[in-house]
Order: sequence, then C-alpha cells, then structure tokens
Amino acid sequence: MKEDDRYRNRIELLQGTLDMLLLQTLRWGSRHGYAISQAIRNGSGDVLQVETGSLYPALHRLEKRGWLKSEWKQSENKQRAKFYSLTAKGKKQLAAEHNRWSQMSAAIASLMKEPA
Amino acid sequence: MRFFSSRNKEIAEEIEAHLRMAEQDGIAQREFGSTLLVRETTRDVWGWTRIEKFVRDLRYAVRQMRRTPGFAVIAILTLALGLGATTAMFSIVNSVLLEPLKYRDPGRLYAAVNLPSPKAPTLGLWLVNARHFHEWRTHCQSCEDVALATSAAGASAGVTLTGLGEPYVFPALYVSSNFFRTLGVQPAMGRDFRPEEELPGKNDELILSDSIWRSQFGRDANVIGRAVRVNGKPVTIVGVMPPDFRLPVGNQWGPDILNATNAAQATMFVPLGTDVSKAKGDGGYNYVSVVRLKPGATPAQAAAEFYSSIAEFVREFHIGLKPALFPLQETITRRARAGLWLLLGTVGAVLLIVCVNIGNLMLVRTASRDREAGIRMALGSSRAELFRLVLSEALMLVAIGSLLGVALAYGALKLFVAAAPVELPRIGEVHMDARALGFALAAAFLSTLICGLFPAWKLARTDPQQSIKQGIRSQKPGGRMGTREVLVGAEAALSTLLLVIGGLLGASFYRVMSAPKGFEAAHVIAQDVTLAGAKYTDKDRLRFVDEALGRLERIPGVQAVGMTNWLPIRGETWICTLWDATLPDKRGIAPANFRFVSPGYWTAMGIPLKKGRLIAASDRGRAVGLLSERAAQMLWPGQNPIGKHVGGCGDSDAPNSLEVIGVVADVRAGLEKEPPVTVYQGYWDSTFGSRSFAIRTQADPAAVISAVRKTLRSIDSEASLSTTTTMEQIIDDSAAARRFETTLAVAFATAALALASLGVYGVISFSVARRTPEIGIRIALGARAPQLAAMVLRQGMTPVLIGLAAGLGCALLAGRFIASQLYDVAPHDPATICAACAVLLIVAAAACWIPARRAVRIDPTTALRFE
Repeated sequence: MKEDDRYRNRIELLQGTLDMLLLQTLRWGSRHGYAISQAIRNGSGDVLQVETGSLYPALHRLEKRGWLKSEWKQSENKQRAKFYSLTAKGKKQLAAEHNRWSQMSAAIASLMKEPA
Repeated sequence: MRFFSSRNKEIAEEIEAHLRMAEQDGIAQREFGSTLLVRETTRDVWGWTRIEKFVRDLRYAVRQMRRTPGFAVIAILTLALGLGATTAMFSIVNSVLLEPLKYRDPGRLYAAVNLPSPKAPTLGLWLVNARHFHEWRTHCQSCEDVALATSAAGASAGVTLTGLGEPYVFPALYVSSNFFRTLGVQPAMGRDFRPEEELPGKNDELILSDSIWRSQFGRDANVIGRAVRVNGKPVTIVGVMPPDFRLPVGNQWGPDILNATNAAQATMFVPLGTDVSKAKGDGGYNYVSVVRLKPGATPAQAAAEFYSSIAEFVREFHIGLKPALFPLQETITRRARAGLWLLLGTVGAVLLIVCVNIGNLMLVRTASRDREAGIRMALGSSRAELFRLVLSEALMLVAIGSLLGVALAYGALKLFVAAAPVELPRIGEVHMDARALGFALAAAFLSTLICGLFPAWKLARTDPQQSIKQGIRSQKPGGRMGTREVLVGAEAALSTLLLVIGGLLGASFYRVMSAPKGFEAAHVIAQDVTLAGAKYTDKDRLRFVDEALGRLERIPGVQAVGMTNWLPIRGETWICTLWDATLPDKRGIAPANFRFVSPGYWTAMGIPLKKGRLIAASDRGRAVGLLSERAAQMLWPGQNPIGKHVGGCGDSDAPNSLEVIGVVADVRAGLEKEPPVTVYQGYWDSTFGSRSFAIRTQADPAAVISAVRKTLRSIDSEASLSTTTTMEQIIDDSAAARRFETTLAVAFATAALALASLGVYGVISFSVARRTPEIGIRIALGARAPQLAAMVLRQGMTPVLIGLAAGLGCALLAGRFIASQLYDVAPHDPATICAACAVLLIVAAAACWIPARRAVRIDPTTALRFE
C-alpha cells in the first residue's frame, strides 16, 4: 500500500508532537480542522504548517482513540464544519503530554546548552 | 457498504469545508491536488479498508465472471467435479483406513492366524483350530481375551431360520461365548452369551443383528425371549446387537484361504456348540480368531505364548503352522489399502489438472488484460492490489466450486456405497465427517493458490509503460517457453501418469478375465442347496442328491448336471493333507483342496480329463479318487499316477486311501491365484449338508432357472435354496473389486485427458488469435498452409512432449507402488505405455489441430487491417 507509506513518513516526523499540538490547540474549546491548522500556523509564527494530509488522518486517529469528540456545527462564517473538542480522556492525555514535553525539552536544552 | 460510503461522504465534506475556508482566506493549497488521497488516508485510520477492499475485489471478480460466463461455468463445474471427487475419495480413505474401528479400545485388538510352514505351497495365512484356541484362551498371559468365530460352514455359510415364511439361509456366525466381550461391544437389547452356553447341548440361544431384527422381526420390542427354529432346532432370542455393529467379512479376518465366515454381514449369532477343550489338536482349521491384548502386551509375546501352549500338538501331528497376531484394523483393510490410496492419488491428480487448467485459462485472459493492468497501475494501483484482484477471482471460482463439490461428494458417497463391491472393508461405515470437510477446505485453499497464483503473479509483473504503449498485439511471438507452456506440460505429465496407471489396471483386468480358469463358464447355472437340521440323516441327504441329479438332467434344455461341495472361483476350502498313501510314514506333503463331486461334474463344468478315466456312478463304494494335474505333479513328478494311492478326506467312515483312477485339468479357486492342488472324491464320501449343483444348459441359462428351482423344491419343500446364479456371474462377482478400482482409475484418466486437451486447445487457440497479424504477414509473404500448421502444431506439441516424458518418468517411479495392484502385467509394460503415449499424443494433436486450421485460414487482408 504505497500511498499510505508516502504520507505516513511525513506524519511520523511529527508523530506524538502533532498529536500533542492538536490537543493543545483544543484546550480552550472546540474548533474545526481549518481553525486548528490556522491556530498552529499562527501560534508558531508560521514556522509549523500542518498539511491536510497529516491533519485529518491525525484528527481521526485521535477521535478513534477517544481523546477527541466531533460534532457538525455552523462556523462563525455561517458555514457547516466539523468541530473537534477534547474529551475527559483527551484532557488527561494532554496533561501527560505536557509533562513529558517539559521533561524532554529540558533534557534536550541541557544537552544543547554548549555552543556547537 | 452503506456504512463505508457514509464515512467517505463525511470525510469528503469535511475536507471540502476546509478547502473552502482556505480559499476564502486566500491561501493556496499546493498539495491539495490529491484530495482523494487525503480522503483515503484519513479513512484508512478507521481500519475498515481491508475488508472493504476485499469486498470490492470480490465484486470485481463477480463482474469478471459475468463478463465471461462460459469460462466461469466451465471453471466452476470442473472445480466442483474435481473437488467433489477428491473429497468423496478422501472420505472413503478416511472412514475405511484412518478412522479407528468402532470397538472398545481397538488398538489392543488383533487377528490371530496361522502362518504356513515355509515348505507348503503358498496358500497364505491359515485359519485357526478350535483346540488350539482353547489352549490359547487358557494359557495366554498377555491376552485379556481370545475369541473364536466360524460360520455354519457350507456353500451358503448361514443358518436356516424357519417359522418366518419360506425357509431361507441367513448369514450367521457361531461364536465363542466371549466374542462380543472381546470386541468390547454389548447387545443393544437383551444380554450377551454366558460362558456355559458355548458347550454342546446348551447352545440354544440366539443374538440377532439389528438389520435382521428390523427386516424379519418388524423391530419387535418384545423379541427377547421369543422362540424360533434355527436349522430346525428350537432356540431362544436373548439379544439384539446395536445398529452400528459391524464385523469384518470373509478374508478381512486375516486368513487368505477362503474361510468359513460369510461374504455378507452376519445377521445371527449362535454360541459355538463345541467343547473346544476336547476338540482334536490338528485338522479342522475352520475358525477365525480375534484377540484382545492386555495393555502394554506385545503381539509377539502373545504369539510366543500361543505357540508354547500348543507344543504338544505340534510334536504329535507335525504341525507346520505357526500362530501369529496382526493388528485387527490393519488386517481388515489390508487388501484394500493400496488400491484406495492409489485412487485418492489419481483423483488428486485430476483435481490438480483442473486447477492448472483454470490457472492457465485465467492466465490467457490476464494476458489480454495486461493493458487494463497497465492502466490500473498508472492510476496508482499497487502491484499487491492487482495480485489480490486476480486471486480473489480465483477464490470466487473455487468457493462456488467447492460448495457444489461438497454437495456432489455427499451424493457421490451414497452412490459409491451402493456400487462398491462387498469386499471393500468397512463399506457400511463410509461417511463424510469433520475431517473430510477440513480436507475439502484445505483442498479448496490449495486450489485457489494453484488457480490464481500464476495469473496473479504474471499480471502484477506487468510493466505499465510497455503494456499501454504497445497494446495487445506486440507480445512476443512465442519461442521461449512461457508460464502457459509450462502449465500445459504439467497437465500433459499428469495425464500421462494417469493414463499409464489406468492402462495398466485395464490390462490387468483383461488378463484376469481372460486367464484360463480350467473350466468353461458359459451356460452353467450354479445353485446352492442346504439340507440343515437334525431331521435329515446322512442317508436322507444322499438320497436328495441322487434324486436331484436324476431329475435335473431331464429338464428340457439341460445338457449335463454336476454336483460338488464347493464350486471353483469361490475360494479354497475343504483343505486336507495330501499324502502318498503307499508310504509307511503318512506325513502330509502339502495341503490340498478336496472336492466331493458327482460323476457328471467334470462334464457339466467343462473340465477336461487328462489321464485315466472319470469317476463313474458304478464307483460308489469303491475307494477311488481323481487328482488335479498339479496334485499328480507334486506327488509323483514324471511318473504315471494311475493306480497309485492317495490319502482321503471324507466323513469318518469314508475311505482313508484312494486309488487314483484319473487326472483332470487344474481349476482355479480364485480368479487371481494359481489353481490349487486338488483331489476329487465321489460325493457319497461326504454327507455334509450344503451342496452346489452345476447345470450346463444348451442356450440361455435364464430359461432353465425356474424349472431347476421348482424341481429341487418338489423333491424337498424344506430345502433352502440360495439365489440361483451362473458361473459367469460368480466370476464377475469375484472380479467386482478389481473392476471397481479399474473403472474408477480409467474414468479419472479419461477426465485427466479431456481436461488436458482442453488446456492445450485453450492455450494454442489463444496464441493463434494473438498472432493473427503476424500470421497474416507470414501468409502475405508467401507462407504455405502446411508450414503454418506445422508451426502451430510445433508450438502446441513441444510442451506436451516434454510433459509426456516427465509423466513417463513419474509412472516408472510409481511402478513399485502400482505393482501390488497389477495382475500378470509389469508396471513398465511396454505395450500399455506405448498405448498411453499414443492416446495422449493423438488427443493433444487433435486439440492443436483445430487452432492450426484456423491459423491456416487466416485472411491476410483482414488480419492486417486488424493491425
């Protein structure tokens, strides 16, 4: 299944991190897919761009795991869109990811302290 | 499918909304060229795709089948026949050979027989003596039980049951009281025999089989305690056996010489009625014996104990026999085993050809689909998906085929059981069980692989660029052997093997039937008559025979009438020791078959006199006998036996020494065995209750049969008459097992040949169709018809010839295994092998000829326009 591989490679670069980012953007309430991608883009000052090819598989994966729930609603522009929000399990997962991320970034930062 | 499509729709909508919003924000979506891919990848997250793809593949397969219904129908039908026949054959092998016997703990059951002394002419395994049995039962430490059985010896091997319509002989067994206990089976109703009931005078109990309880007693629930007369003697029914209780019949008990157990399932069981502890320690080898060993005991141990327990008799009577034990299951199935495995192998080969054929036809179709495959791949279909596509098509065909096949096997088994010869052991137990269904499933799985693997592999290897660019017509024009040719070669090889096997069996059958039997079977009626019971004295019985001989002769259309204690072809029995009565030491030199016959017997049977004269009516009361040529040769090689003296074998008051007055031709006792050593005495020397009349008629015997029965019945209305038959029928019945095996093997070989020729035809006509433009050019350039035909024939026959050679190699290798099934034909018999090759070549050439003619008739202008 070639086409899967093509995308999986890109996803894997962000695996875990992308999931964490998605959960993070949803911590204040529900958003649809496009809003999530914009939030990540704007929040990172255009450094991180999530392609739809990674975004939607990831959202559906998180939904399947029970960390997200989804609902079709009207958007602020009066358009029908699918809104994602955190479940209780998702909130717990986000907290766990937070911890892990702070530990890891601290560890990496201390390793990278010395200039090259 | 609705479930999948609703999710698809939702994902599409979600992504569409995303796109719209992005557009409103003026963001270019570079990678959104492949929305489809995003959609699919997203959907994959939910994990349903595998099944969904499978369903899609199957739908595709169904579409393909609809597009070429002819192919689908042929494929499914041949698969159904192949899988059905294989499953049916496996069910038989499974029920007969693999499944344990339906007795308690059957692994500890053994058949006890006597091994002949190495000096004796080969008669094979011998029966058991009652006194030996007594010693075995008393002294064997490693045996849990030793049991004995015999039938009411005589032509009909049964007992006459009176009180239920016309007296009729039912197959019956006389058994030791522990017979059922040894097997570990109990009557379903009533009780087993008690030890004391084995003794004479106390044996007036009867146990019925389930079948006779149904047919003759109307399933009477109160049958226990009912009194009936067996052979004129009143007995009480004490038990009824369970419906699934079956016994080995005839020589399935082990001994090779004809034994006193019937050819039919016993329907009644009577205690022995013999005090075995007082029986004579030699002679009277008329019994079969079954032994249950103690857990852990070995048959060799038991055999040694048997031998030491009869040491006294061995010394006293110079017994050359030695007891031996063989596992009961192995003994019962011994004669059928190789044949059944051979048939299973043969039918398996046919199935293999069916699968190769379908694979080949699919390959042909795939080849014309490589453009489609190329397009699919260019559109992003993976090789694995193409592979799956073809395999699912094969799976679809096999699935339908195997469902039909199992149904067919079920029907075929019923037919088989009805048509199978009675000699086939455990025939009544043949059925289809979970193991057979498992086998069918495994066979179907393998078939799918064989059918689908080659075309799938071929299609998945398609180079999309090549196939789209060049299209169909510019395929390589032949030359190197492709997959298709290899498959055709394989079919030819398997067909050759099956043709050789079928041919060898056919030749054997012909030799068996045409071998000289020592008598002329045509126009001879055979009628068994039994005068059973205490109401007949020896004189009564002789008087009956005297009168019958006289009156039968006067029936219009009757040429000659003879009477014997045992007819030819029915096996060896009435065996006594052959000895030169003039020598002081009367130790026997060989076992011989003794026949007590009427003076007209040789004329009626058409047995030629070789020396001296025949016994005449005037010889009554004189101690005279006739020898068969082998008997004379054995006793007095190179000398004139007339006037010499030979030991007799009749009733106790019959002469002990006979003057030899003549020598007659050897007569076979079994179709496939050399004629036994035989001694003839006058019928007045034996008063045994059962006789066979042989009546030679002028024309069709059928016209005389009713007159024969009426005459015999009018002499004694209580005489029990067997179904009237003819010597030709006896020969036919005796060849039934071989005929059955041969018929199946030849049928399988024919099927293989037909399938293989279909395969050759399919491949060659496809190739001709593909090469139409090329052939058109050849014709336009001046190629002649014979050249073209030769070209096509060469292309078709090359793989066939290679396959033929491979098949012959296999046939020679298999020769040793086949040899046991052959009669008077070597496994490498050149005539048979040549004939098989010729048949294969002719049929294959004919299959090539049709497309070759088509090639020759190609019109170059049309062909080139086609280009």
